[in-house]
Amino acid sequence: MSYLPLDTAEAELIIPELIMLVGLIAIILIPNFGDATFRIPLSRIKVPILIGGNRFKLTSNPKLPNQVSLLIFSAAFFFGLIQTSYGNVGDTLEVTAFSRIFTLIFTAALILATIATTHRIPARTNLKVPTDNDSETITTKKIDALIDNRRQVDFHIILIMVGLGMSLMSMATHLFMLFVCIELASLSSYILVAFHKETKVGGEAGMKYFIVGSVASAVGIYGMSLLYLWSGDLSLDALSSKWMESETIDPIAGIAVGLMLVAFGFKVGAAPFHLAAPDAYSGASSPVAGLLATASKAMGFVALMRILITVTMPDSGEAFWFSTIAIISIVTMTWGNLAALTSTNPKRILAYSSVAHAGYMLAGLAAIGSGLASEEAMKLVLTAIIFHLVVLVVFKFGAFLVLSLLETEGRSHQLEDLHGLARREPLIAGSMFLFMLSLAGVPPLSGFLSKFLMINGIVNISAGTGASDVSSVMDWLISVEPVFWLAFAIVLNSALSMFYYLRIGLVMFFEEPENTKPMKDAFSLRIAIVLCALLTVIIGIGPLSDSLLQMVNDAVDSFISN
Amino acid sequence: MGETKNEYRLLLPLLPFLVIVPYLALQTDSHSTDFAWLIVVAPFIMFPIILIIGQVFNKNETWKNTWKEGGILGLAALSVSLSTTIWIVYDYLIGHADITNSGVDSWLEWISFDVLQSDYTIAQNRILGVGVWIDSLTLMLLFVATFLCFLICWFAIGYMTTDPINEDSNHRFFAEFVLFSLGMFGMVLADNFLWLFIFWEVMGLCSYLLIGFYYWKDSAAAAAKKAFLTTRVGDVFLMIGLLILYDIYGSLDFAVVFDDPSTGIGGVAVESGELFWALMMLFIGAVGKSAQFPLHVWLPDAMEGPTPVSALIHAATMVNAGLYLVARLMPFVDIHHNGVSGLEDFGLIVAWIGGITAFMAASIAFVQNDIKKVLAYSTMSQLAYIFTGLGSALYFLNTGDHHAGYFVLGASLFHLFNHAMAKGMLFMASGSVIHEVHHAHDHLHHGSDHSDHDFDPQDMRNMGGIASKMPVTSTAMMFGSMSIIGIPLIGGFWSKEGIIAETWLAYFHGETMMLGPAILILATAGMTGFYMSRMWFMTFAGQPKSDVVDHIHEATPWIKEPLLILTFITAIGGFALATLGIIDFLSNESHHLSLHGHSLQEQILHELEHAFLPEDNKLRMVGWTTILLSFVIGPIMAARIHGGKLKEGQKANIFVGWLVNLSDKFGTQDVTWLAESQLAEALDKRLYFDDLYEGIIARTVIPFAELSAWFDKNIIDGIIKQIESNSVLGSVQIRKVTTGNARDYILMATVGALCIFALLVGVNN
Repeated sequence: MSYLPLDTAEAELIIPELIMLVGLIAIILIPNFGDATFRIPLSRIKVPILIGGNRFKLTSNPKLPNQVSLLIFSAAFFFGLIQTSYGNVGDTLEVTAFSRIFTLIFTAALILATIATTHRIPARTNLKVPTDNDSETITTKKIDALIDNRRQVDFHIILIMVGLGMSLMSMATHLFMLFVCIELASLSSYILVAFHKETKVGGEAGMKYFIVGSVASAVGIYGMSLLYLWSGDLSLDALSSKWMESETIDPIAGIAVGLMLVAFGFKVGAAPFHLAAPDAYSGASSPVAGLLATASKAMGFVALMRILITVTMPDSGEAFWFSTIAIISIVTMTWGNLAALTSTNPKRILAYSSVAHAGYMLAGLAAIGSGLASEEAMKLVLTAIIFHLVVLVVFKFGAFLVLSLLETEGRSHQLEDLHGLARREPLIAGSMFLFMLSLAGVPPLSGFLSKFLMINGIVNISAGTGASDVSSVMDWLISVEPVFWLAFAIVLNSALSMFYYLRIGLVMFFEEPENTKPMKDAFSLRIAIVLCALLTVIIGIGPLSDSLLQMVNDAVDSFISN
Repeated sequence: MGETKNEYRLLLPLLPFLVIVPYLALQTDSHSTDFAWLIVVAPFIMFPIILIIGQVFNKNETWKNTWKEGGILGLAALSVSLSTTIWIVYDYLIGHADITNSGVDSWLEWISFDVLQSDYTIAQNRILGVGVWIDSLTLMLLFVATFLCFLICWFAIGYMTTDPINEDSNHRFFAEFVLFSLGMFGMVLADNFLWLFIFWEVMGLCSYLLIGFYYWKDSAAAAAKKAFLTTRVGDVFLMIGLLILYDIYGSLDFAVVFDDPSTGIGGVAVESGELFWALMMLFIGAVGKSAQFPLHVWLPDAMEGPTPVSALIHAATMVNAGLYLVARLMPFVDIHHNGVSGLEDFGLIVAWIGGITAFMAASIAFVQNDIKKVLAYSTMSQLAYIFTGLGSALYFLNTGDHHAGYFVLGASLFHLFNHAMAKGMLFMASGSVIHEVHHAHDHLHHGSDHSDHDFDPQDMRNMGGIASKMPVTSTAMMFGSMSIIGIPLIGGFWSKEGIIAETWLAYFHGETMMLGPAILILATAGMTGFYMSRMWFMTFAGQPKSDVVDHIHEATPWIKEPLLILTFITAIGGFALATLGIIDFLSNESHHLSLHGHSLQEQILHELEHAFLPEDNKLRMVGWTTILLSFVIGPIMAARIHGGKLKEGQKANIFVGWLVNLSDKFGTQDVTWLAESQLAEALDKRLYFDDLYEGIIARTVIPFAELSAWFDKNIIDGIIKQIESNSVLGSVQIRKVTTGNARDYILMATVGALCIFALLVGVNN
């Protein structure tokens, strides 16, 4: 069937993406269904054309887009989960276990984001835009109402575009395709951040995020063009074999990779490109911030891993970017943790914490780049990185879900908003505390397991490098390879991070709340929070962690074999 | 309180839980051991549920009356544990599952990691997992633990919810209790020493919480602290012991360690010296947990503050943990099965500690007037018996006489079973007595100050003649005391006889060092006869010693059932199990209970003959001396001092009536001179151990603690504060970079990009 761009076998491989594509069209159409008719000219026969006219009761329901997109993401997640066949789709996409697990990460984060918006944006009609004549209180009220109701459909259309872009980028084998997909996801996420354009912070955050992001993208695309200049082909295979062939590193290629590091460094939130991130997180609504902290971060790491490991990692010896990434990682984690210490905005704290977590994962990448890693050790560290990205969806997004719940009745940009949460909502506060502990890496939670795997991998790589005949610890520390210090930095930073994670627990349990009434009855959101809390525990210890680690292992195998 | 209507309908929620295990069991090809995890998981799930629901609904009427503040939920979880245990025990006893190759069943692997060895190379993958280890020891202790925990929970529903002073916080008790049960079950089932230790500590934590349940009472808070700190001393040694073991074997899995205890990691032969210290350290841990000399001081205090219920779980279940640990160590010394020779000193030390504790605790029990404290000291003393038995088992196994060794091991573990059942029942009965005395006192002095400090409902000097008022309780207590004393044919007799005889046997075989423990426990047998009879006579026989007694009624139904069940087991369980060869089963000599090919009659005769007329003349002497001391001399002395007829017109039931009347027949004896002697005072002061420890601690630990407090406050905290303030300073500084201006961000990004280039170029040139 040549008129289709895909044959059946290929279509089967990308069912989740196709679902999102069809869903994108559906969600544009569905809210417009109405009783419009078309009269056939010269006759009296009216043919119902469905689009336009008075909308049906069902299609005019403002909650419908939310339900549709929840259905779409759940279907995409489900089909991603049961998929077992892998292969090429066209010239630029390849479905592997690696891409599949990232599809799952993205769709899971999007499912959570959709659930979180269900109750954040209650359905209301007859809303008016504030005018200059309104008093201040009326203006605020109107703005609040607008935030609650506006552009329901738009939000979900953009959300699906984010999903589509991210999911396709994880399977791109061509740098150009990769970049286009990243831009699809990024531009959509800029809009999401600025979605509350009526408020000052929302518009400002979106604008800032857009400006810095587009500068980073421009730099990245310039790097890509240099790479094209050097190689003449941007497919990852071609780039990688060209890189292997060249004896020394061509300056053009080196500069190109450096420029792309800037672009992707912005995506993962590495210092010093992370500065717009805290502003964006605190300006955006919590579900969007959660999306940025989990899915967007995972996307950046896919890109980084493609460039740093698939393309430029030499067969043996140190990669030329080793010390750069190592220094960036240490600066990133320290910066993130330090900045979070005195922050009083929970969203900013979480933003900085996700900067710190990016630092931990970069440390893993750097350890691989040291060239000391055996194949086993390299797999271990890659497993740790991907596993960390997976579990972040559970507890980082879980924390943002709690903030979403707070947002349903007001604001969540002050630590005071969390005061006494344990008294008002014991279950929610308990879950939040669990998320904080997991972020800090307390056993037996999943955050501990991922951090443990990471440190274990890095120590494993550095093992055997220290002198064995030294007499004191100091001598050994001096003689050991610098990779070891990455693990050391992670441990020190974890200790530092405890300070602000536990502070959130402290204010929740020991401060007096302003009012003691329980919060809004956002049922599905509560279910999602408790589910995340449960997963935080059972992915950390138990049979589920085994099967998940097995999935991640498969992903790593398929990634390395490329 | 007193009048409690029938509340069995409240047990209906239990039904679905009771169906789970039979449903699983009836599935074809389902193995009981595959579901052993249920035993631990059921309380693990229920613990947070009770706590959370209790916290949210603690004023709710339905929660209080229908769910008994979580008691029903706890009972449901424990019923799952108990039924699973019964299934497993049943499978093994009838021989479905074979004990010889059951061993490990690992059901969870948590973390696998590489170990960096001292030569900086990587050792093989180590796996930190949780598994299930099932042998006869596990089975017996598991049954004791699940069964008693279930009954105690049942008892607690009746006891706790009628106690007015813990208004609205009983869910805390039930949650802690369920967690405690989890710790106990997990410890027994664990297939490696690490998880054993972890669950051990879970129990330690819960015991702290339960003893200090009435945390606003100073005595309870102090007792909790004392128990926690004393056992902690043992736990530190236990941990050291585990580290030494790990050093020797490179693993803490039972499967690895017990596979061949004589070869350590890398095939090196194990040195007995190093292993000796490992075992000693583990033993000290066990001593702490089982309240043996010199770490015994916490147990009596644990009775002081809180409820009989927590006394119960400590005395009847938790203290068995130490015994379990020592019994687990048998394979190390069993030279018949690859054990390490040259460890007989370890056995001697265990036996000596046991002997000393047995004698000391029994003599302190002579003068105690608090009914629960008598029981507490009796617990220490009986546990010490078991330690002595285990000590001789260790000795025999290490010197090659494995028949005697296995026999005394089996007897000791059998005594553990008998003692746990009898003591569980005695504590329940004493709880029932205290409860009713307290209630009667409140009733009598209605309207007066509730917290009447002059009246102690636990003091036996306020009781006397209760036999007619509480027929069930007095019967139960009589059988319990008989079992503890070792009255022939009842409960503990079958096991105690074995321990004493075999300890003497070790002496007869030429080990002169065994003479000490042997004499001590023989004397203790007579003393047990005295103090247990004294307790019963003081409480139930003779004239009432206060006006309260007239207003006492029998206990509520929730309290009665467990008593009856345990009375039955105590009365005939010992004989029945002995006949079925429990001793051989417990020592792994046989793999299930059976009559060994004899008819029932023959087997009973064989057991009786074995118990009363052993072939060895010397042993026959020992046996009859024991019986004489414990059965005749001790109780008669007690009867002369404390016995007597009931008040005119009062009648006890036929089970105990004869005993009351009999106690009157031996005349009376005035022992005031003895009671006022310095010896009695010394015993009353618990032989000054607490004072001694207090003195030592005040002179050594406290000054050191003050020093370290100073160090902590000024040096450590100073450093931390410095780090903190510097971090905060750094944080404030670094956040200044986040100006909020997009142009600054781009500037920073540019600077960052330039740095990247500088690094890339700098490193590669």
